[in-house]
Amino acid sequence: MEEVGSPAVRRSCPAGLSAVRAETIEGLTELEDLERVYAQLCGEEAEVQTELEALAGQQSSIETKMLALQRLGPNLQLIEGDAAQLSGMINFTCSLAENVSSKVRQLDLTKKRLYQAIQRADDILDLKFCTDGVQTALRNQDYEQAAAHIHRYLSLDQSVIELSRQGGESTAVDASLALLQEAELSLKALVTKRLEEAVATGDLPQVERFFKILPLLGLHEQGLAQFAQYLCSQLASKAEENLLLAVGSDLGERRAPVIFADTLTLLLEGIARIVETHQPIVETYYGPGRLYVLLTHLQKECDVQAQKVVDKFIKQRDYHNKFQVVQSSMMRGVSAEKIEPRELDPVLCEVTLMNSRAELYLRFLRRRITADFEVADAVAAETVIREHHQSLERLLKDCQLSRTMQELIGFYIPMEEYYMRETVNKAVAMDTAEAGQLSSSMVDDVFYIVKKCISRALTSGSSDCVCAMINHATSMLEADFREVLVCKLRAGYPASALQDLQRGVSSAVSLMQSSLQHGKIQTLGIESQEQAKSAYLVTLNNVEVCSENISTLKKNLESDCAKLFSQAAGSEHAQAKIDSCLSDLMNTSSKFKDLLQEGLQELNNTAIKPQVKPWISNFLSVSHNIEEEEFSEYEANDPWVQQLVVQLEQLMAEFKVGLSPMIYDTLTSLMTSLIAMELEKTVFKCTFSRLGGLQFDKELRSLVAYLSSVTSWTIRDKFARLTQMATILNLERVSEILDYWGPNSGPLTWRLTPAEVRQVLALRVDFRSEDIKRLRL
Amino acid sequence: VTMEDYDYLFKIVLIGNAGVGKTCLVRRFTQGLFPPGQGATIGVDFMIKTVEIKGVKVKLQIWDTAGQERFRSITQSYYRSANALILTYDITCEDSFRCLPEWLREIEQYANNQVVTILVGNKIDLAEKREVHRQRAEEFAEAQSMLYLETSAKESDNVEKLFLDLACELIREAKQNTLDNNESAPMPGEGKNINYLSCCSIN
Repeated sequence: MEEVGSPAVRRSCPAGLSAVRAETIEGLTELEDLERVYAQLCGEEAEVQTELEALAGQQSSIETKMLALQRLGPNLQLIEGDAAQLSGMINFTCSLAENVSSKVRQLDLTKKRLYQAIQRADDILDLKFCTDGVQTALRNQDYEQAAAHIHRYLSLDQSVIELSRQGGESTAVDASLALLQEAELSLKALVTKRLEEAVATGDLPQVERFFKILPLLGLHEQGLAQFAQYLCSQLASKAEENLLLAVGSDLGERRAPVIFADTLTLLLEGIARIVETHQPIVETYYGPGRLYVLLTHLQKECDVQAQKVVDKFIKQRDYHNKFQVVQSSMMRGVSAEKIEPRELDPVLCEVTLMNSRAELYLRFLRRRITADFEVADAVAAETVIREHHQSLERLLKDCQLSRTMQELIGFYIPMEEYYMRETVNKAVAMDTAEAGQLSSSMVDDVFYIVKKCISRALTSGSSDCVCAMINHATSMLEADFREVLVCKLRAGYPASALQDLQRGVSSAVSLMQSSLQHGKIQTLGIESQEQAKSAYLVTLNNVEVCSENISTLKKNLESDCAKLFSQAAGSEHAQAKIDSCLSDLMNTSSKFKDLLQEGLQELNNTAIKPQVKPWISNFLSVSHNIEEEEFSEYEANDPWVQQLVVQLEQLMAEFKVGLSPMIYDTLTSLMTSLIAMELEKTVFKCTFSRLGGLQFDKELRSLVAYLSSVTSWTIRDKFARLTQMATILNLERVSEILDYWGPNSGPLTWRLTPAEVRQVLALRVDFRSEDIKRLRL
Repeated sequence: VTMEDYDYLFKIVLIGNAGVGKTCLVRRFTQGLFPPGQGATIGVDFMIKTVEIKGVKVKLQIWDTAGQERFRSITQSYYRSANALILTYDITCEDSFRCLPEWLREIEQYANNQVVTILVGNKIDLAEKREVHRQRAEEFAEAQSMLYLETSAKESDNVEKLFLDLACELIREAKQNTLDNNESAPMPGEGKNINYLSCCSIN
C-alpha cells in the first residue's frame, strides 16, 4: 500500500489511508463493523487495481520518450561548446568598446576645457584690450568708445575675472583690472558731470549723447533722472511762456474764453510729444519698461505747471468767488448777491474742457506705460506684473494734476446745478403758449437746458461728474419742475356758472375746488376764464411731453455716454454707474404719466361730468312706456339721443383742438365710461313698453355708433351691460330670455347677474312679476 | 420697469470722513474681502448685492462715496435718492467722531426726510487704540434718533448684521408706506410710491 501510495494516488483518495489503518481493524469486534471495513477495503483494492493498470499502460510511451532523450545528449554537448565561444567573443567586444568610448569622453572633456581656455584667453585679451582701449578712448575724449569698453568689462563674467587673478599672470591681470575699475569710476563721474552740464545749459545733442552712454555704465536711474530733468526744464520754460501769453492775451480774441484750457492743453500735449519723440531712444538705450520712471519724473513738473495754470485760471476767472456766491444763494434761496446764470456759461465750459484734456492726457499715459510694461514683463512673474500695475495706478491716481482737476470739478458741479436750476426757473417764468401749439414753450426749453447741462458735464470726460449732474437733473425734474406743473393743474379747469352751481352740490371734487377758486371764478371775466381753460389743457399736454422728453433724453444720453466711455479704462464700471443714474432719471417719466392721469381724471370730474349727467338724466323725461303712435312720432322727431350726440360733440370740440390726440383719446374714453355708468343708472329708473324697449335699443345703437366714431379705444366692452339690458327690454315674453341664457347663450357672455336680469325684466310694464319670479336662471 | 428677480430695491449710501473704512465695509459685505492698503476712493463707487431675508429678495445697491472734501459735491448728489445712509466713523479716531455733526447737517440739507440713517463705529479690531467710547457714541446716536452699530471690516464683525438689519428696517418702512398710501388716496401731484410686495415677516 505504502509504495503504491504515490503522491498522485494519495491525493486522489486521501480517505482510503485512514480507513485501512491496521490498529483500527484489530480493534473491531462487531461483525457489522468488520463487514463494513471489509467492503471498504475491497472497494479500495479495486480502485488500486484500476490505477495500476493505467500506469502499466503508460509504460511504452515513457520508454519512447526516454529513447528520444538519450538521442539528444550529444547535441547538447555541441551547443554548450558554441555558447561558451559566443560568450568569450562578447566579452572581448565589450571591453573594446569601453576602451574606445572612454577615449572619446576624454577627448570631449579636453575640447571643452580647450574652449574654456580660449574663452578665458579671449576675456583676458578683451580685458587687456578694454584696459588699453579705455585709456586711449578717454585720452581722445571718445566717451562712447570708453563706455563701450567699460560695458564690455562689466558684462564679463565676474568669476572669469576672479579666475584670471589666480592664474600665472595674476599681477598683470590685477593691474589691468585696477586700471579698468579706476577708468570705470572716472568715466562714470565724467559722463555724469558732462550730462549735468549739458542739462544745465540745455544742450540737447550733448544731453542725448551722454544720456545714451549712462546705461552702458549701468547708471540707468541716473540717466533717466538727468534726462527727465532736462525735459522738465524745457517743459517749464515753455509752459511759463505760454502762461504769460495767456494772461496777457486780448479778451476779444476768439479763444479768449477758453485760454486757460488751451494753455493746459499745450502743456499736456507738450508732454505727449516728449513721449512720442523720446520713447524710441529710451527704449533703444535703456530697454523696455523704463517709460514709467521717466514719466514719474516728468509728472512732477507737469503737476507744478498745471497747478500754475489752474491757479491763474481760478484768479482770473474769479472761480472760487463765483462758487461762493452760487453756494450761498443755493443755501439760502435768496441772497443779496446773485449771479446771472449766463455769466457762468463760459467758465463752466472752460472747466469741463480742462478736465477733459486732463482725462485724455492721463488716459494717454496709462496706454503708453501699460504697453511699455507689457513688452518688458512678457516673461515676468505675476507679482512683478501686479506691482508694476499698482505703481502705474498710484502715479495716475495720486498725481497733483488729478487732484487739482477733481477739486475744479468739485466746484463745477454745484455751479452747473445752479445754472440748470436758475435757467429752468427763467424758462418757467417766460413760459408762453403760442396759439395753435398744444404745449407751451417751457417744456422744450427745460429739456433743452437739462440736456445742455448734462452734455456739458459729459464733455468733462469724468463719469462721476456726469452721474452727479444726472442726479441733480432727476431731482430738479421730479421735485421742482413737476411741482410747477402740479401747481398749474391745481389752479383747475374753470367751470361755467351753471356748472359751478351743480358742482357745489357734489363734494367729490374737493381739492381743485378750494374756496379761493370759488371766489376767483365768480370774478373772472369770460376772457380770463378761457385763458384758464386753455392753460389747463396746455399743462396736460406739457405733462405728456415731459414724460416723452425724459425718455428721449435718457436714450440720447445713453448713446452719448456709451460713445464717450467705451474706450476708457474701467469703462464697464463707469457705464454701470451711469446706467443706474439714468434709470433713476427714467423713473421720473412714469411720475409724469401718473400726474397726467390725475389731471385727466380731474378734467373729467370738473368739466365733463357736471355737463353730461343732466343730459343723460333727460332720458327720464322721454317716456319709454309708449305705443305705436308715439314710437312713430319719436322716429320723426328724435326726442333724446340726437341732441345728446350734438351736445357731446360741442362739449368735446374744445378738448379735441386743445389736447394732444393721445390725451384726447384717453379723455374720450373716460367720458365714455362715465356715460355708460350714468345711462345704466338712469335706465333702471325708467319703465318700458315693448316698443319703448325697441326705442331704447335704437337710441343705444346710435349712441354707441357715435362714440365708436370718436375714439380709437374699443367701447363695446364699456357698453356691454347696457346692450344686454336693451336685449332684455326688447323681449316678446319673459320666458324668451331663456333663449339667450345659460346653455343657449352662445358666444354671448352675460355681464348682468341673474338678479339684475330680473330687475331689468321688471322694468317692462307688460311683464308680470310672477313670470319673472318663476324664471329659473 | 424691469422684471428682475427681487421684491425690493434699496439704495444705500455710505458717508463719513476719509479713511474710516467705508470701502472696506462694502468690500467685506459684497465680496467677503478685506483688501489691505486700500487706496482712497475716487468719486463714487457702486456695488450690488442681493440678499434674502425670510424669503424676501432684497437687492441692495450700495454706493460707496469718497470721504475727501473735494468729492463732496459729487457725493451730495446721491443723498436725495438714498433709502438709507450709513454714516461711518473710526472708533480709533476722535476726529472722525467729532465731524459727525457736520455730516448730519449734510444729511439734513440733501437727503429726503424719510431716509433711514445708521451710525457705524468701525475698526473695533483695534480695541487698544479706541478713542471714542461706545457709550458716548450710543448716546450721540440716540440723541439724533439714529441706529448705532460697531463693526470691524477686518474681522468681519457685525458687517453682515449691519446691512441685513438695515434691509429689514427698510422693508418695514416700505410696508408701512404702502399701508399709509392705501389709507389715504394720493393727492393730485403727490404721486404714489410704487411698492410691489404683499407680505413678509421680519425678524
